[in-house]
Amino acid sequence: MGMNEREIHALLTASGIDGVGGLEQPDLDPTVVLQPSALVEVMTLLRDDERLAMEMLHCVTAVDREDRVDVVYHVCSFARHHALTLRTSVAKPDDADESWHPEVPSVASVYAAADWHEREQWDLLGVHFTGHPDLRRLLLPPEWIGHPLRKDYVYPSEHGGIPLELDAVPIYERDEREDTPPVAEPRPAGTPLNQPPSAPSARPHAGGKAPAKKEGEG
Amino acid sequence: MGLLNNTMPANAVTNAVDGAVNWGRKSSLWPMTFGIACCAIEMMAVFAATYDLDRFGAGVPRATPRQSDLIIVPGTVNAKMAVRVKRLYDQMAEPRYVIAMGACVCGGGPYAKWGYNTVKGVHKIIPVDIFIPGCPPRPEALLDGILKLRENISRDDVFRRRRDTAQTLDSAYST
Repeated sequence: MGMNEREIHALLTASGIDGVGGLEQPDLDPTVVLQPSALVEVMTLLRDDERLAMEMLHCVTAVDREDRVDVVYHVCSFARHHALTLRTSVAKPDDADESWHPEVPSVASVYAAADWHEREQWDLLGVHFTGHPDLRRLLLPPEWIGHPLRKDYVYPSEHGGIPLELDAVPIYERDEREDTPPVAEPRPAGTPLNQPPSAPSARPHAGGKAPAKKEGEG
Repeated sequence: MGLLNNTMPANAVTNAVDGAVNWGRKSSLWPMTFGIACCAIEMMAVFAATYDLDRFGAGVPRATPRQSDLIIVPGTVNAKMAVRVKRLYDQMAEPRYVIAMGACVCGGGPYAKWGYNTVKGVHKIIPVDIFIPGCPPRPEALLDGILKLRENISRDDVFRRRRDTAQTLDSAYST
């Protein structure tokens, strides 16, 4: 059967890679702490060493800890029946604002699964994975501003005309207030009877103007 | 609802035609094939054999908004999806009806406070006829919502001119 986390940690330490730290919470949820600079080398070792044979990267996630940003990796081996959690941290400078992006090397070159996971962390927490092949937003619209799972995120009131606040005025009521008169207008002479007076062409001020095209029509 | 609404005064003929048209509309509600999130699973159960929505003439989900009378919005509407929901609704022909299914669609649900990209209820985007709360609502609740919508439709004025509208128009013509 597979190795436990202490044995894997001992193996990583003995490998001579710079930046492998201690084993956090060894009895509860063992986590190997790494320097960001050691990440790609350690991941390659985990995948290629036949004693470890970690074929699969489950998950890449990130946590905003106010004073630092953690990036957490879960890898496992089906062949050896063991798994490991790794964590790396980037300290937040005192003058950091919303435009600050922690930099961590991408492991997409080692595990292809990391590609979209890292895009998600860029999208939601603004972690900049250096060397990523295509670091675009994954979930939110491409024109979204900010990274919503950061502690200093400012909530938007609307996005592209779509109201996002709880007490927002519905958009069709907003339109009605601007465009349509509050009471029914008298029917001008010559208007076909089967048209209500509020139809655009029956309005006197609408004149020869073509009625506005609905969005999505044609 | 519709171009024909309130175009003629109330009399025996328009009342009778109203009844016939409303009966036709409520007995062949065609919903759109449209689902967003987990509520859509319950909605599919309503279309399927156990709950059999076809008993009420609404069991033929149409593949295009242009053939649909009813859009059931089942699931969280976020900023990306809201644009699409609005566009689908705009493509539907009158008369069209909207059912908001589930807590998210009725007012944000669990995302009401901290949902950064959730529209807090689809009624911010399109006018809603029936709200069905629940997370997700039972299939029976959706059936009940559709029955309530049928009641609403059977009270609709197709040709009859409502009293206030009629008075406004009559006073306008007399001057």
